[in-house]
Amino acid sequence: MNGSPITSWDGAEAYFTFATSPGVIMVILIISVVACFGAIIYGGLHENEAYRHNMPDLPE
Amino acid sequence: MEQQLAELSDKLAALEAAQAMSSTINAEIFYWWCTGLMVIIHAGFLAYEMGSSRSKNVLASGIKNILAFAFIVPTLFFVGWWIYLAFPNGFVPDLSSTYGAPWDVSMGPNLADNATGVFWAAFTLFAATTASIFSGAVIERIQVSAFLILAILLGSVVWILGASWGWHPTGWLTAKFGYHDVGAAGVVHMIAGFFALGVLINLGPRVGKFNADGSANDLHAHNVPFTITGLMLIIVGFFGFLGGCIIYIPGEQWINIYGQPATLSAFAFNTLMGFSGGIIGAWVKTRDPFWMMSGALIGIFCAASGLDLYYPPLAFLLGLFGGFVVPMAAKLLEKAGIDDAVGAFPVHGIGGLIGVVGCGVFASGYPNVEGFPPITLYGQLIGAVVMAALGFIPGYVVSALIKGMGFLRVPDEIQEIGLDKTKVPIKAYPEGSIGTMPAE
Repeated sequence: MNGSPITSWDGAEAYFTFATSPGVIMVILIISVVACFGAIIYGGLHENEAYRHNMPDLPE
Repeated sequence: MEQQLAELSDKLAALEAAQAMSSTINAEIFYWWCTGLMVIIHAGFLAYEMGSSRSKNVLASGIKNILAFAFIVPTLFFVGWWIYLAFPNGFVPDLSSTYGAPWDVSMGPNLADNATGVFWAAFTLFAATTASIFSGAVIERIQVSAFLILAILLGSVVWILGASWGWHPTGWLTAKFGYHDVGAAGVVHMIAGFFALGVLINLGPRVGKFNADGSANDLHAHNVPFTITGLMLIIVGFFGFLGGCIIYIPGEQWINIYGQPATLSAFAFNTLMGFSGGIIGAWVKTRDPFWMMSGALIGIFCAASGLDLYYPPLAFLLGLFGGFVVPMAAKLLEKAGIDDAVGAFPVHGIGGLIGVVGCGVFASGYPNVEGFPPITLYGQLIGAVVMAALGFIPGYVVSALIKGMGFLRVPDEIQEIGLDKTKVPIKAYPEGSIGTMPAE
């Protein structure tokens, strides 16, 4: 995958991967946001499972 | 002769360009190392929070603290930096520019922009500091998922909105009221402390903290030396934090966050004098090394709003006053039935309040930049009320919603077993020297 937005360093400014591809930038950004908040949800589920393991009568 | 003049002119232009780039890189380096020093704040909070926990919860407290830092970084990238830049006028964003939005060309490697990355990094560490302040208050009984939602709300939304209002060159609090808070006593410490208070009311105390008659028990920290060392590390990191509060303009005098002339020397005088005053005040009041080191922080916060202005012995006296009275505020909070495990509300909320109001009492009359009003007690009081409300209301409301959804508090039975045993896959002290010594 060619992520480079530049072909030469002469006059280069924003040179981060996919800097000139706003659609790709948006997809990467959205995946990052989903991963971030998905991790919190996953952590919460794991936490409740751990409590239930020690407290089987814990309400759902 | 003409050729020599042309060569000389070219050399001069090259020298000027080299000097300008050297100055730009110096500024970039300055904020890089301020950010690095601020990471030490988090080493300190980690030690402080784990030391303050009982041995059965030490790793769970550490996990919570580390995760606060980890989640603040991306969320401040996603939304926080944009909030700072877009909301100086209040609740209505300025949408005239995408600068600060996570898809903007400034938000990544850019050879035409040496500033955005290091400023974003410094603000990210300020944000992580607010989340860590809150983190200590709620140890040993908050669910991690609830904590993370609240930490992100505080670190990547609430405090940065407060910074946009009161810690920004055109923020409405300074533009309309001359609000002055160079060291972030209000925008970081009051907001974080009052946010913590709002959450603590809904979260409730740790199991065993209060008796049926309302009297309080001491739930002893399992490692006080670790806690005290952590507090000293926080102090070390605050030299990065406060360095990051002043603007380096290559080739010119420093300016503070409001664009007024300042010097780093002023910050050095008053940070150290406030620090020592806070320790001495807390020592006189308590003789307790935990409070003495907390007093060092309190002293800095009490001087923080006017770090660029005070006669240093005045910063010392403000610190002394804060170090003396804040432990009393902690006692009152406990009497009110609120279990703030590390004193986050008194240290940061009340310490910051003294800092903001103190600046109005002692530094009224200092001019602002052209067109904005000078410092007044009235302006500082308005700022203090705004910062308290901006911290307390979201903390209280959102934690009440999470409580209503049933995932704010760790069940009491689990608290009694211990969080480490319940959900941490490793043991803090497998050799069993702390908290598990067999009876003689």
